[in-house]
Amino acid sequence: MLEKTGVATEQDLQKAIPSKERLAKGPVAIIECFQRIPCNPCYTSCKKGAIKEFEDINDTPEINVEICNGCAVCVSNCPGLSIVVVDETYSEQEALVKIPYEFLPLPEEGSFVTGLDREGKAVCRAKVVKVLNTKAMDRTPIVSLAVPKDLSMTVRFMKLNDIYSDNTFVCRCEELTMGELRELIRKGFNTIDEIKRISRAGMGPCQGRTCRQLIMQELAAATGAKMSEMPISTFRPPVKPIKLGTIAGGADHE
Amino acid sequence: MRIEEHPILSFNKGKKVNFVFDGKTYEGCEGEPIAAALHAAGIMVLGHSHNKQRPRGFYCAIGNCSSCLMVVNGQPNVRVCTEKLQEGMVVETQVGKGDLK
Amino acid sequence: MITTELAIIGGGPAGLSAAISAASLGAKVILIDRSENLGGQLIKQTHMFFGSQKQYASIRGVDIAGILMKDLEKYQDSIEIMLDATVISVYEDGVIAVEQNEKYIKIKPQSIIVATGASEKFLTFPNNDLPGIYGAGAVQTLMNVHGVAPGKNVVMVGAGNIGLIVSYQLMQAGINVKAILDASPKIGGYLVHASKIRRMGIPILTSHTVKYAHGNNKLEKVTLCRLDEKWQQVPGSEFDIETDVLCISVGLSPLTELLWQQGCEMKYVPELGGHVPVRNDNLETSIKGIYVAGDVAGVEEASSAMVEGRLAGLCAAKALGYNSPDLEDKKNDCLEQLNSLRSGHVGEKIRSGLSKVTV
Repeated sequence: MLEKTGVATEQDLQKAIPSKERLAKGPVAIIECFQRIPCNPCYTSCKKGAIKEFEDINDTPEINVEICNGCAVCVSNCPGLSIVVVDETYSEQEALVKIPYEFLPLPEEGSFVTGLDREGKAVCRAKVVKVLNTKAMDRTPIVSLAVPKDLSMTVRFMKLNDIYSDNTFVCRCEELTMGELRELIRKGFNTIDEIKRISRAGMGPCQGRTCRQLIMQELAAATGAKMSEMPISTFRPPVKPIKLGTIAGGADHE
Repeated sequence: MRIEEHPILSFNKGKKVNFVFDGKTYEGCEGEPIAAALHAAGIMVLGHSHNKQRPRGFYCAIGNCSSCLMVVNGQPNVRVCTEKLQEGMVVETQVGKGDLK
Repeated sequence: MITTELAIIGGGPAGLSAAISAASLGAKVILIDRSENLGGQLIKQTHMFFGSQKQYASIRGVDIAGILMKDLEKYQDSIEIMLDATVISVYEDGVIAVEQNEKYIKIKPQSIIVATGASEKFLTFPNNDLPGIYGAGAVQTLMNVHGVAPGKNVVMVGAGNIGLIVSYQLMQAGINVKAILDASPKIGGYLVHASKIRRMGIPILTSHTVKYAHGNNKLEKVTLCRLDEKWQQVPGSEFDIETDVLCISVGLSPLTELLWQQGCEMKYVPELGGHVPVRNDNLETSIKGIYVAGDVAGVEEASSAMVEGRLAGLCAAKALGYNSPDLEDKKNDCLEQLNSLRSGHVGEKIRSGLSKVTV
């Protein structure tokens, strides 16, 4: 029960979550504000007119999801920080959840954080796609998290702790992190050669000496493939970086 | 412990000054309450109650409760939660109800 | 002796608003506050306020103080500000005695608005006097005004708005909140505040209380226990949490000493936090020329304190003979704002309390 625990119940949430059809159309604000309190900045901040005018300031907000375009202006204007924007059209497997985050340090774009549910339980790894912190947002930055689509209505906060070690570097030369590698594997890049071509891991100055083994291990863990049977990428000369001049002047040394 | 970074606030602290607490020199910021400077230095016990000698810290921090009486520059019964820190102040734990010198 | 038309005691949200509205009608005002700056508790509020635009909703409390201060500057010719000045008594003949920098100053105003606010209530359990056990407001002052952390870990007692908001602010300052507990079976503060704290993984333990505080010289550990439906401790439900700070946020009581001294008719109204003055719709007490506004008139939110201040300022100035063509409209606007702020479910307690003291 929300009043006892501070956590919205399924029943509460039914009122806030738009239809599958609406979610399939693009970003939309989800307002998890279920108690009558004197407060209306969501209505006054919405430039689209998607949030219905309050007859009584104690009314709970009513949103017309067909008008809402998910611009997220209300997210940083809500004194209760009770609004998120969810975009289920972000990618095939992932949804974007835009949350207000008033803490330091802010996460870095491109890094991986832990997605938390309404009770603060870790539920998934989440990639920080964007951190918006404009003057108009007045110190309530909005962090856009890419999360597995089936958790779009579960993830409501984040912590910087990287419990899945996603920010671990796999490839030092091309700076590929474990999280990025896992994302590529999820997208279907399932051999070391494919990973190499899409991410450049293995094409840097060390020529894959540091990352090859780690990428194979992760491929094995994710796909169940045996390392012994994994196709290996092609080794082309030179096996270490050398000056072009050395090759160009090669005849002199012959 | 001082709060070094804050997502909403920036603190305009006074310049660093030295003060003496029970014979030892500490650093604080000029103009902040003595209790804040002591707390920042990790000192939470400001004195002891007169009758039962119970340890006392501050309670309200705005001069309501008088739980934080100390001897400052020889003067007893100073509420250190509101008294401002100045360079060279001598702050002492108060024993009993304090003596007027 | 200094003379003036209107003395306002307390420069928090209510007193500041009162000074602005009274001066806007032309009244000569002395605004007295015991601290070194105006704004009262507003300057410690890092969160965005609720309410509507008229009460500065969606603006952080600390910035609202700034807005009010700017408004105040417009009337600097008619408002005299006394800071670091504590009113130590209001005598029966209406003379106010002020202590400022160890000087004793007497002021004789024609009217007074008392906007002294409230002080924090305390809680009883063994060792409740250990250093490390602080009022929630004290912790807020220490960290948000002075930039000093109260400790490493905090257990918060009280899930009202102050307990919830201060817990969130502690986390923002990088201090770990281990749990929030409340004796009541329900969360008293706004549920959106509760939800944003739960998302960070902080448990809110309703129907729980502090049984014991432990520590040698300062707080080290607290023993909590569960309460049954009759608010009685459940034997065997005790458990310990290690913590160096216990924050107490179990409500406020109006700071009414000056009203008692004046002989204002007072009533004990638990819904409003304790003894509060009987007042009329103009916020005038049983003694002519003495007005009240804000928490001293009944503990409520800062939003309504600002509106009450505005109203008291208008009414006091009017009684002094000042007027403006839109005065009645302004007054009605205040009354409407107060009604709407108090009209919801959470205002029920306030409405019931006010019905007992408004004549």
